[in-house]
Amino acid sequence: MGLIKAGSKDKGAEAPPPAGDPLEALETGDASARRRAAQALAARPEVLCARLTREPDPGVREAILTALVRGGSPEAAACLLPFLEGEDVSLRNAAIEALQQMPPDSVMPHLDTLLAHEDSDVRIFTVQLVAKLPHPERLDRLVAVMEREPHVNVCLAAVEGVVELGRLEALPALDRLKARFPDDPVVAFTVEAAHRRVGQD
Amino acid sequence: MAAPRSESAGPSSGASPAEYEALCSYLRQRTGLSFGENKRYYVERRVVERMGAVGARDFTAYLDLLRRQTSGEELQLLVNLMTVNETYFFREKYQFDCLVNSALDEVVRGRKPGDRIRVWSAGCSTGEEPYSIAIMLLEFWKRVDEFEIEVRASDIDSRALARAREGIYEERSLQFLPPHLITKYFAQVAPGRWQIIDELRESIDFSHVNLMDANGMARFHDLDVIFCRNLLIYFDDLGRREAASAFYDALAPGGFVFLGHSESMSRMSSLYLPRRFPEAIVYQKPRSDADAG
Repeated sequence: MGLIKAGSKDKGAEAPPPAGDPLEALETGDASARRRAAQALAARPEVLCARLTREPDPGVREAILTALVRGGSPEAAACLLPFLEGEDVSLRNAAIEALQQMPPDSVMPHLDTLLAHEDSDVRIFTVQLVAKLPHPERLDRLVAVMEREPHVNVCLAAVEGVVELGRLEALPALDRLKARFPDDPVVAFTVEAAHRRVGQD
Repeated sequence: MAAPRSESAGPSSGASPAEYEALCSYLRQRTGLSFGENKRYYVERRVVERMGAVGARDFTAYLDLLRRQTSGEELQLLVNLMTVNETYFFREKYQFDCLVNSALDEVVRGRKPGDRIRVWSAGCSTGEEPYSIAIMLLEFWKRVDEFEIEVRASDIDSRALARAREGIYEERSLQFLPPHLITKYFAQVAPGRWQIIDELRESIDFSHVNLMDANGMARFHDLDVIFCRNLLIYFDDLGRREAASAFYDALAPGGFVFLGHSESMSRMSSLYLPRRFPEAIVYQKPRSDADAG
């Protein structure tokens, strides 16, 4: 025994069978077949997201999310955004990560609705997403949150994003945020720290 | 496969920023290789060389050729220019130690003598990695004679693959090999040039594979170990994500992925379990849903 050339007689190495109709395969009990079906359905984000809501297998979830990122269309982004409102933490985080990897032009136009969501946690997730999107409107959006958002924690998420961008033109907006929450020591501390970080950068 | 070198100047192809972006997008889509504005000189230099070789009148004509040529020959020639292949035997040897001292013993747990074990060197460049794996197995894995072991190796660069199959190396590539292993596994073919012995060369299955090509990847399945070191650092986020997904499909449950020392699977995929062995951290496909947590 020892080293054997690949392709030598080996009954255990049959290639997986063709998946057939991917729409049907996406609903079968075989997780491998569902993964292959997901990979073939990148152009059908609505089908993929519908399956994602009830898909229990982590490997199939990942295949669906990867197919959606590969599709990268505004429709794919729109289908993924509702997962930011969901209770399933791992799925929500996976959706946020997938959205970050999509073309920013496909994602950014959809985010206004979520930035106005009634749940402040959803608004925080959205701000964190905005901060990661390499889009020309990113800084303006974060500044707008600092200027108008009523919930302090959402504003602090925006500050974090601004600090990561390290853009000096955002400094006046940081001061205005501090003025909006004059009695909040956390805001004062965070804004001062942000000034130091951005100023140093 | 190795990286684009950094170069500070180069000839211009006349590509507009949008055209350059279109080329990069095309290369990313077809190969996974990611080139940004910071690699523009590097890319331009090679594109200009290929434009001259095919007689393309301008960049648009060359891009058109790349996109329309059904054989993919020009894409292959450009990709060959884009990759640099600098490696050596026993590079990051602690990972090979991990393979033969820890990972393989876990792979074969519950298997019968004579069962097959499949190892794949993905992005094998000029062959030093798969030959190193083979030598490590033959020399240092105590159970090597109990199993049939298949070592496969692939790269997207057809020139590098030809050199890998030929198996001729300069002394520099052999500098970390103990002399007795050079004597045992190489034959001197010229002063300072050594060739892998036929028996070892013929035991490795080299093939041309593009990780982004689902059809080509379908040939890889039921693998126990994948080495993919210092390749995915040249992919963008989506390319890494797709490669990690392709590896997941290619691995048997419980199979391992070895990445380069600066790479981490946790930044590419949540599907793998990081396994800390005494010699190295390796990434494992869960054996079952319960493992996946």
